[in-house]
Amino acid sequence: MFTTALKGVLAHRVRLAMTALAIVLGVAFVSGTFVFTDTINARFETLFTDVYAGVDASVRPETPEFGAQPGQNPGSFDESLLADVSAVQGVSVAEGSVAGFAQIIAPNGDPIGGQGPPTLGFSWIDTAALSSVNIADGNGRAPEGPGEVVIDVGTAEGNDLSVGDEVGIQTLGGTETFEIVGLANFGTEDNLAGATLSIFSLDEGQRLFGLEGRLTAIDVLGADAVTPEALVEAIAPILPEGSEVVTGDQQTQEQLASITEGLGFLSAALLAFAGIAVFVGAFVIQNTFRIVVAQRIRELALFRAVGATGRQLVSLVTMEALIVGTAASIVGVFAGIGVATGIKAAMNAGGFGLPDGPLTVEPRTVIVGLAVGIVVTLVSALLPARRAATVPPVAAMTESAAPATGRSLRRRSLGGTLTLLIGGAMLAGGLVAENGASLTLVALGSLTLFIGVSVLAPVFAIPIARVLGRPLPGITGDLARENTIRQPRRTASTAAALMIGVALVSFVSIFAASIKATVSDTLEGAFPADLAFQSTNFTSGVSPELEAELEALDEFDIVSAVRAGYIRIDGEELNVAGVDGDVEAVYDMTPSIDVADLGDGMLVAQSVLSERGWQVGDIVDVEYAATGIVPTAIAGTFEDQTFANYIVSLDTYGANFSNESIIIAFASLSDGVAVEAGQQAAETVLASFPNLDMNTASEQIADAEAQVDQLVALFSGLLGLAVVIAVIGIANTLSLSIVERTREIGLLRAVGMTRRQIRRMVRWEAIIVAVFGALLGVLVGSGIGWATVFSLADDGLGTFAFPVGQLVIWLALAAVAGVVAAAGPARTAAKMNVLEAISYE
Amino acid sequence: MTLAPPRTATAASITDGVKTYGRGDSAVHALDGVSVDFERGAFTAIMGPSGSGKSTLLHTLAGLDALSSGSVRIGNTDLGSLNDRQLTMLRRKSVGFIFQSFNLIPTLTAEENIKLPLTIAGDSADEEWFQTIVGTVGLDDRLTHRPSELSGGQQQRVAAARALVSRPDIIFADEPSGNLDSTSGAELLGFMRRAVREFDQTIVMVTHDPVAAGYADRVVFLADGSVVDEMHEPTPERVLDRMKNLGG
Ligand SMILES: Nc1ncnc2c1ncn2[C@@H]1O[C@H](COP(=O)(O)OP(=O)(O)OP(=O)(O)O)[C@@H](O)[C@H]1O
Ligand SMILES: [Mg+2]
Repeated sequence: MFTTALKGVLAHRVRLAMTALAIVLGVAFVSGTFVFTDTINARFETLFTDVYAGVDASVRPETPEFGAQPGQNPGSFDESLLADVSAVQGVSVAEGSVAGFAQIIAPNGDPIGGQGPPTLGFSWIDTAALSSVNIADGNGRAPEGPGEVVIDVGTAEGNDLSVGDEVGIQTLGGTETFEIVGLANFGTEDNLAGATLSIFSLDEGQRLFGLEGRLTAIDVLGADAVTPEALVEAIAPILPEGSEVVTGDQQTQEQLASITEGLGFLSAALLAFAGIAVFVGAFVIQNTFRIVVAQRIRELALFRAVGATGRQLVSLVTMEALIVGTAASIVGVFAGIGVATGIKAAMNAGGFGLPDGPLTVEPRTVIVGLAVGIVVTLVSALLPARRAATVPPVAAMTESAAPATGRSLRRRSLGGTLTLLIGGAMLAGGLVAENGASLTLVALGSLTLFIGVSVLAPVFAIPIARVLGRPLPGITGDLARENTIRQPRRTASTAAALMIGVALVSFVSIFAASIKATVSDTLEGAFPADLAFQSTNFTSGVSPELEAELEALDEFDIVSAVRAGYIRIDGEELNVAGVDGDVEAVYDMTPSIDVADLGDGMLVAQSVLSERGWQVGDIVDVEYAATGIVPTAIAGTFEDQTFANYIVSLDTYGANFSNESIIIAFASLSDGVAVEAGQQAAETVLASFPNLDMNTASEQIADAEAQVDQLVALFSGLLGLAVVIAVIGIANTLSLSIVERTREIGLLRAVGMTRRQIRRMVRWEAIIVAVFGALLGVLVGSGIGWATVFSLADDGLGTFAFPVGQLVIWLALAAVAGVVAAAGPARTAAKMNVLEAISYE
Repeated sequence: MTLAPPRTATAASITDGVKTYGRGDSAVHALDGVSVDFERGAFTAIMGPSGSGKSTLLHTLAGLDALSSGSVRIGNTDLGSLNDRQLTMLRRKSVGFIFQSFNLIPTLTAEENIKLPLTIAGDSADEEWFQTIVGTVGLDDRLTHRPSELSGGQQQRVAAARALVSRPDIIFADEPSGNLDSTSGAELLGFMRRAVREFDQTIVMVTHDPVAAGYADRVVFLADGSVVDEMHEPTPERVLDRMKNLGG
C-alpha cells in the first residue's frame, strides 16, 4: 500500500507540491519562533552567566512585593554597610555601587533610546571579576571623576559618538553635560538588548542619583574555599532591615528572567500568528486533497473494481497525506531556521541589540514542528480520505464522475449554523467571563466560528458569486462567474482560507478604530488644559521640578502635575494617581467632591463603583508597597476619564510613595496668551527636560492614534502570512480546476478565444473567489470586533467605530491577492496547446 | 443575403502538405505531400484507413497545427504567415468546428454555446440568422438547457449550430456523428447537408462511415498521408466498395 501511495504522490507531485508549500510555511513559522526564542534565551544565558561569573554573592535592597516601577531608582542602604560586609569571614573582595535612571541626550538635544529597552545608569566597579562591563580595547578608560561617563559601544556606534565627545545625561535631578572617556562592552557584547548604558565613577553616580553616602548594591567575591551559599549565610545576619543577600547565580537567574520575560511575550505572540497560519494551511490542505480525490475518482473506482476495500482506499489517501505531510514538515523545520535568522535580523534592525552566536535548535523544536505539520496534514486529509472510500466501483465505467452538488445542502446549513452558534456562544462566554475576558475561550470561539462559516459558505457561494460576477464584463466574466458557481464547495473552501486572515485583519482594524475613537472622544471632552507635558521615555517619569519651572512662567495660569503609582486592592494590582487641587481647573473631571477637600480619602471612577458594588462613604483596604495596608474612605466619585480610576490627593500620595516623578502635567494659558506663545515659552523650560513631549489636545490625540496605527500595521503584517497561505490556496485550487477543464479551454481557444481572454477569464475567477472570501472575512471580523468592543464598554472602550474606508481597502487588496494568485494558473491555461487540449483525456 | 466580402471559388486548399512527427528512423509522415482544394459551397468528406492522416489534415487545414512543409490557404489567407493571435482571429471569423465529443462549454446554455464565437469576438448575433439555424437544427425548445440536460445528438446539433453562427468560410468536422446512434447521426448529417445546400456553407468532414460520406457532394480518399482517390456524388454502396479496395 505504501508503494502505491508513494506512486500516487509522485504522479500528482505538482498538485501536492502546492499543498506542501502551505504546510512548509506554517511549520517554518512555528519552528522559526522556537529556534529564535531558544537561541536568544541561550545567548542571553551564556552572556549573563559569563558576566556575573565572578560574583559569588550580592547584597541589595529588598525588592518591594509589588509596585516596583521601572525607571524609578531602586532602594538603597548606607554605604557604611560595605565595610561591615568586607569584614565578614570568607569575603575576599566586596565592592559597592549605585544604579539609577540615566537618559543619554545626543549633542543635537534628542534623547537616545528609552522607547522600549531601559536606559540604565550605574557606577563603575573596579574589580574586573565583579563588573558586568569592561572597556572595549583601545576605547578610552574607566570613568574617574566628575563630568566623566562611559557609554556602551553599541549606543556610541549607533549615534556616531566616540571618546572625547560631549553628551547630556538626564537623571531625575536634571540634565548635565558629560565627556565620554571610554566605551564599554557588556561582557562580550557591544550592547545589552537595546538598553543604553551610562557608567560613572561611584561618587558621581551617588551625586547624580541623589544617593550621597548610599549604595544600591554590594557585590562580593568569596575566598577560595568558600561556597556562595556559605557566603550568603555568613553575610545575611549582619544586614539591616530592608536589604538582602543572594548568590551570584540567583542574581543571574533573576536578571535573565526579567530580560527573557519580554521575549516570552514576543514568542507567545509569534506562536499565535504561527498557529493562525497553520489553521489557514489546514483549509488549503483539506481543499487540495478533496480536489485531488475528486479528480481521481475513476482511478479510485478502478481500485475498487479490482477488489480494493473502501478501507484500503482510506488508508491509501491517508498514506499519501502522511508522505506529503512528513516531507513538507521536514522542509518546514529547516526553513524555520531561516525564519529565525530573519526575525532576529529584523529585530536588530529595529534597535534591539540581540547577542550574536550560533542558532539553538532544540529537539523540541524539531518534534513540535514535525508533529504540527504531520498531524495537521493528516487531520485535513481525513474527510477527503473518507470520501474516497465511498466511491462505488461503477464510477470507473461512467463517463462523468463529477460529484452531485447540493445533495446535502440542508444538512450542511444545519451543521454550519449549529457550529456557528456554538462558536458565537464560546466567543460571547469568553468575552464576558469573570475577571476580564478569557483569551482561550475567545480564541477557541473564533476558530469554531470560522469553521462554522466555512461549513455554511457553500450555501452562499452561488448567490454571492452571481452578484460579484455580474459586473464583470464580457464572455470572460460570464465564464469566470459560472466556473465559480459550478463547484460551490470548492469555491467556498478556497475562499474560507482567505476569510480567516481577512477576518482577523478586519477585527484588528475595527478594534483599533474603536480605541482611537474612544481616545479622541475622551480627550476631546476632557481637555480644557491648553497643553500637556508627557514623558517620551516609557520607563520613567519626569522630575517634579518641572511643575515649579512651568508655574514660574507668566504665560501659564495654572499648572497641575499628575503622579502615578501602583496599589493593591483585594490582591489586584491597580493604578492610582496623585493630583493637586488645581487639576479640576485644567482637566475636565468634575468630581463629586473637590480634590482639595479629599483629605485621606480617595476618588473612585463611577464604572469601578458599579462594577465592585461600592458606594461613596465605604472604607476600602488599599495596600501600598511602602506603607502596607491603609484603610481608605471613598470620599467621592467622578466620570471615567483617561489617566486613572483611583485618585488620591498629593499629600496622601507623598505619604505612601517614595517616587515623586511626574507622569503627565497639564497647563492652562494665562488670559490673552496664544497657544503658540505658550509653547514658545515652555520650550525654554523643556530644554532641561529633553525626554519630554509638549502636546496640545489635538496633538495628543494624533499621538495616541499614531501609536495605535503602528500596532495595526504590525499585526496586519504578521497576519499577512495567513493571507499569503490563503493566496497559495487560491492558486492551488485554480491550477487544479484548470487541469480539469483542459478540454474546455482547448475548445474555447479553437472557437476563437485569444490567450489574453483565457488569462482574463482565470483572473476574474480568482478575483471572485478572493473577494467572496474577503467579504466573509470582513463580515465575521466585524461581528467579532463588535462583540469585543461591546463587551469592553465597561472597561472604558466606549465608542464602536467601523472603519469603512479601511475595510474597503482590505477588500480591494483581496482582489489584488486574487490577481496574484491567478498569475501562475492563468499563464498555464493560456499556454495550453489547442490541439493537445482538445484531445486531452 | 447580407453583403459579404468577395469570395474565392475555393474556400480552402492545401498544397504539397507534409506533416512529419519525430525524426530519423522513427519519423512518421502523417501527411506525405497532400494537395486538395475545397470548393466553396460544397460538402466534402474525407475517408481513409485509421492512421492515414485524416485528423492531421483537418487540423492543419484549420490552423490548429502547423505543416512541416507545404502551404494551407483559407479564403485568400496563407496560414503559414500567421502568428498565434492572427490564427485565433482566423478561427474566430472564418472557421467553424464540430468535434466528435466534448463540443460544448458545460456552464453555458445551448443558446450561449451557439453564440459563443460571436460573444468571444464581442459581436452581437444576427437574430434572424440565429433563428434560422436554431429552427433548422430543431433546438427551439432546448435553448435554455445546459449541455448536461441534452442528449448526445442534441449536443452535436448545438455544436453544428455554433459552427454556423458566425457564417465562417469553412466548417471542419472530425467524425461528428461518430458517437451517435444512426437516427441522431442521420439528423445531424441531414442538417449539415441543408446548411450547404440552403445556406451556401462549406463543410469538410472526416468520417469512417460510408453512410455519413453518402451525405457529401464529394469524397476524398486518403492513405498513408496522401490522396489516393476521390469520388463525386457518392452513395454509401460505392463508397463502401472503394474502401474495400483501399483495404481500410
Ligand atoms: N502528436 C503525434 N505524434 C506522433 N505521431 C502522431 C501524432 N499525431 C498523429 N500521429 C501519427 O500520424 C499518423 C496520422 O494520424 P491521424 O490522427 O491523422 O490519423 P487518422 O486518419 O485521423 O486516424 P483515425 O481514423 O484512427 O482517427 C498516425 O500514424 C499517428 O500515429
Ligand atoms: Mg482521426
